[in-house]
Amino acid sequence: MNPEAAGTVYPPVAFVVDPEHVAAFRDVLGIASGVPPTFVTAAEFAALPEILGDPRLGLDFTRVVHGSQEYEFRRPLREGETLSVRARIDSIRHKGGSGFLTIAMDLVDAGDQVVCTARSQMLERGPGA
Amino acid sequence: MGDEIQELRRVVTREDVSAYAEASGDRNPLHLDDAFARSVGFPGVIAHGMFTMGHMTAAVVAWAGEPSAVVSVSAQFRAPVFPDDTIVAGGRVRAIDHDDDVAELDTWVVVQRDGREEWPVKRGAARVRLTRVD
Repeated sequence: MNPEAAGTVYPPVAFVVDPEHVAAFRDVLGIASGVPPTFVTAAEFAALPEILGDPRLGLDFTRVVHGSQEYEFRRPLREGETLSVRARIDSIRHKGGSGFLTIAMDLVDAGDQVVCTARSQMLERGPGA
Repeated sequence: MGDEIQELRRVVTREDVSAYAEASGDRNPLHLDDAFARSVGFPGVIAHGMFTMGHMTAAVVAWAGEPSAVVSVSAQFRAPVFPDDTIVAGGRVRAIDHDDDVAELDTWVVVQRDGREEWPVKRGAARVRLTRVD
């Protein structure tokens, strides 16, 4: 990973909070109604390809381990709405041969209000680590 | 204050992990393909860290009464979970923020494997709104 890629802002990706998709997610987790808070992970995966495909960042996803995750909501997601997922690289650090990457994503609604901020810390294991 | 939330327990199956891969969009072969998982140093496929965090959040949602009451949730991923493991999510109320009318919870997930309880595979926190707002 290239530390100079810290601060990169990626083009927004549209994500529909599809009721059938939400229902499938609820079923796996055994949640009866509403939009499960961690459903936001599906929006993160919608925006991830542009980060994985960024040659300047040079992230090897096969070596990535998820370190921690945070979601902060200004309001719950609403089924049927379309959100804009705006991803950026918050920080990149190297320590002990491994790389530590923090990705932040804002989910923004049609009124340009941030609905949720997701922050993921990833660890890219170095060769032999 | 200091109240524990009700424990939420489930056995993780390969079917759960496959269903979670579909629902989340995370089709990393580490969760689906034993040969791949072994090639990167695991004994076989592991559950998604986010599956276990989702289970932890389900315990918080059950305590909160509905998903929309959850203002924030976070987790540190400390150890892998394998198929056939039993995961047990728990938590306790650390504080009540009366200004925001929010309960602050400490949360965790422990694994029971081969009859033994392992160290927490997840440690987390959540903030839950106490008054219903629609």
